Amino acid sequence: MARSVWKGPFVDGYLLRKAERARSSGRNEIIRIWSRRSTILPQFVGLTFGVHNGHKFIPVLVNENMIGHRFGEFSPTRTYQGHAGDKKARRG
Amino acid sequence: MDSATVAAADGGDALVLVGTVVGVHGVRGNVKIKSYTDDPAALDRYRPILDGAGRPVRLRVVGEAKGTVVAQFHGVGDRDAAEALRGTRLFVPRSALPPAAEEEFYHADLIGMAVDLLSGERIGTLVAVENFGAGDVLEVQPPQGASIFVPFTRSTVPVVDLGGRRIVVDPPAGLLEPVPDEGDDAAEGLS
Repeated sequence: MARSVWKGPFVDGYLLRKAERARSSGRNEIIRIWSRRSTILPQFVGLTFGVHNGHKFIPVLVNENMIGHRFGEFSPTRTYQGHAGDKKARRG
Repeated sequence: MDSATVAAADGGDALVLVGTVVGVHGVRGNVKIKSYTDDPAALDRYRPILDGAGRPVRLRVVGEAKGTVVAQFHGVGDRDAAEALRGTRLFVPRSALPPAAEEEFYHADLIGMAVDLLSGERIGTLVAVENFGAGDVLEVQPPQGASIFVPFTRSTVPVVDLGGRRIVVDPPAGLLEPVPDEGDDAAEGLS
């Protein structure tokens, strides 16, 4: 069942404080978080979070398209070993 | 990704694994291929395609089935002959791949590169390139300990030296520091 709209998005409080600290410091840093359940808010755009997947921290550079999704969606907990093939990586 | 995707060929040109024959399809000699290319059905656009022994093979993609592509090998007309191809790995010479666009890099080129800091200190080897929906990330394996994920951005990875087989990383704060014992939840009074 979807979350009720009247409640607003859920975000862990500590995460908001960390994001605010990182933004005000202006430093290029990775904000390590364990809160995979938190919703990505507009004020997180442009920040890089390290989202724990139970094992490691996966860097998640937040952009506008991610707003409303949860951090955990971008940090898979299961490993898939693929092959390189002709796949290309784009430097952002 | 595994480092075995690139193997040295006789001519010195690296080979890129682009598919594996995983089964047969029907009675007319078609095979099912697990394709590792960006567009799975584009497998037959590459020339030449080589088998594991380095012999050129000719094939034509005729369809798709359950996550595999269905292909017809030249000269294979019945199911028994197709069964004999099961397990065949298909390679393309690295030089046969089209040049990458600006700021694009083939995974096959990046994997295996040495990873250095701006200071010149070596921190490990690039073992995989992943994309979990938030941009490409490089998996770096240090000599000891767990691997590190590095965002593949111009600010974090200012230098990609394809000829020198090394990349230079300018890690943001928090990327290389050891992980605390417990999550910050406890420190933040949330537990």
